[in-house]
Amino acid sequence: MLLFKLAFRNIFRQRRRSLLTALSMAGGYILCVFSFSLSEGSYNNAISFFTLDHTGHVQIHQDDYYRRPKIHKTIDNPESVSELLDANDEIESHTLRVFAPAIAYSDTDNTPAQVIGVDLERERSTSTLEDKVSSGSYIDSEPNAEGYYSAMIGAGIANSLNIDIGDELILISQGADGSVANDIYIVKALVGDRDSLDRATVFLPLRAAQEFLSMFGRVHEISILLRDDDAARDEAALLQEQLPELTVSPWQVVESTFYQSMQTDKQGNNFSMGVIVFIVFVGVLNTVLMSVLERTREFGVLKAIGSRPFKIALLITLETAVLATLSLLAGLLVAVPLVAWFTFVGIELAQPMNVGGIVMSHLTGDMSLFVFAAPLILIVIFAILISVPAGIRAARIPPTEAMRSH
Amino acid sequence: MYDIRSSCLSGFRHRLLLSYLLLLLSLFPFNIASAAETAIEIIDQMEALYQGESSRASMTMIVETPQYQRTIELEASSMGTENSFIRIISPRKDRGIATLKLDMEMWNYLPKINKVIKVPPSMMMGSWMGSDFTNDDLVKQTTLTDEYALTLEETDELYTIVLVPKEETVTVWGKIDYIVNKQYMVPVAQNFYDDNGEIIRKLEFTELKDFAGRMIPSRLEMIPMNKEGNKTIVIYDNLEFNPPGVDESIFTLRNLRSRF
Repeated sequence: MLLFKLAFRNIFRQRRRSLLTALSMAGGYILCVFSFSLSEGSYNNAISFFTLDHTGHVQIHQDDYYRRPKIHKTIDNPESVSELLDANDEIESHTLRVFAPAIAYSDTDNTPAQVIGVDLERERSTSTLEDKVSSGSYIDSEPNAEGYYSAMIGAGIANSLNIDIGDELILISQGADGSVANDIYIVKALVGDRDSLDRATVFLPLRAAQEFLSMFGRVHEISILLRDDDAARDEAALLQEQLPELTVSPWQVVESTFYQSMQTDKQGNNFSMGVIVFIVFVGVLNTVLMSVLERTREFGVLKAIGSRPFKIALLITLETAVLATLSLLAGLLVAVPLVAWFTFVGIELAQPMNVGGIVMSHLTGDMSLFVFAAPLILIVIFAILISVPAGIRAARIPPTEAMRSH
Repeated sequence: MYDIRSSCLSGFRHRLLLSYLLLLLSLFPFNIASAAETAIEIIDQMEALYQGESSRASMTMIVETPQYQRTIELEASSMGTENSFIRIISPRKDRGIATLKLDMEMWNYLPKINKVIKVPPSMMMGSWMGSDFTNDDLVKQTTLTDEYALTLEETDELYTIVLVPKEETVTVWGKIDYIVNKQYMVPVAQNFYDDNGEIIRKLEFTELKDFAGRMIPSRLEMIPMNKEGNKTIVIYDNLEFNPPGVDESIFTLRNLRSRF
């Protein structure tokens, strides 16, 4: 307790110097918090964008379909897997899909297309497909009177084939049995615009796509949306145990390119934050060393009257820690409202960014324990690290020499 | 000098010398030329074996892969080497799908979408209807005897003709071995190699059968060596030569499009 008192007294003895040091620490802290908030915020945006757009949190495939898609790598018992997933409380919803590359024809033109057969009802609650319909209406899974199924096509296809809602779309591909897949569909909706990810995609009702590709009852992918965003890895591991014959992958694996570059970028960000904190603490080190130097006589006296060297070192460390705590408190007072504003309002972009059909007009941050705690811990650790050598120096001073100095 | 003078002296001697010279001439280059000619003749004979002047065939094609097996029944007509027409009879799902080849061009017709699609030159090495045969195998767009240099090897029972593409030939094959049974003059096998001399696929001809007086292998087995577990078998169920009804009207885009 006495040590605390001494520490406080020493801090407030040189008010101006302490204030400047505290300011640099608080400033460094705010900068770190802000930068973490920005990177977390923009990555969380991106993650929630693509998990809702198509990836889901967890995906189930046959074998290594997600890395090397082959039409015959199918999940052959989707109904029983569906039942299992419906009974799971951790799962918000899931959807079944088949994929195939195809060539799309109109009467006059042709263009390559990616065919995706989706379970229309389940897709509605699992992905943003319905929201992406830019004109026309979300299709149903029944064929019309002439036996033609409906299709939703990417705006890019509509543009290159020069067709619109109500027109016929011809698809040709190769079926799972090697036969020539070919059929006619009626365009009922356009998806996204010419810049979106789905510009070259044709969405068909699941059953229509299965018939088209001669893969009756089988699917390529089951995409799962969890109640808890962060549980993807754990839930994937649990499901993998229940479905040993299939491959269950969290989005971190499915979107591994994105995930890895995100991790790398975050590490780079952490490193530059480390550099900033380091620079801040070169200043702090200067303060600590100065205060040790100018109190040489004092420490000499303390030692002469019987203070243990350890106590003296502890005093120096405590002084730095108290100063750091005070500046972090001040920093928090500024950072919390700033980050709150950044999270809920955000910085308006001069030009709205279009990420795959989703317009982002604001750059927003993230407000979480991590954003505040990580730089806080970083600074406290640095403060203690830096005060230790100064403390040792003070503790080592021989009393006689120290008392002789001015 | 002596010879010339004496040839002037005697007509008989003159003639003798001439024939001697001719014999000498024919011994060298002509010998090689005639061997190549035989090779060309053999290949031409083999290629014409299934076609005649005109022909009609019923075939069963079995496509085997590790994932599925598929059986297709086909009807094929041909006229000369330039024109051929193939239509799928079964399975029901694919019934009516047809392929027409005229000279160097090829079209597929898909009845479900009522569309004729021209097969572009770039797709000639692509698979025909998911089988291990390429479009080129079917239409024989590349004439072996024109585009390849031939060398003939012979054993007691077999001719082996090695075909190496000429410099200007566009092909994916580095070499083709064409093996022919001497006794029946029918193909036994064709081995296709890539540029590195590695074997890529094998076509085997077996089960000799009498079709209208000709002994012809009725079973063709195409085995791609780079795709394990895949092969395609073609069985000739029936083959007629110069049958009635196979005329020019069959080999038209209008007939390709006709409902079947």
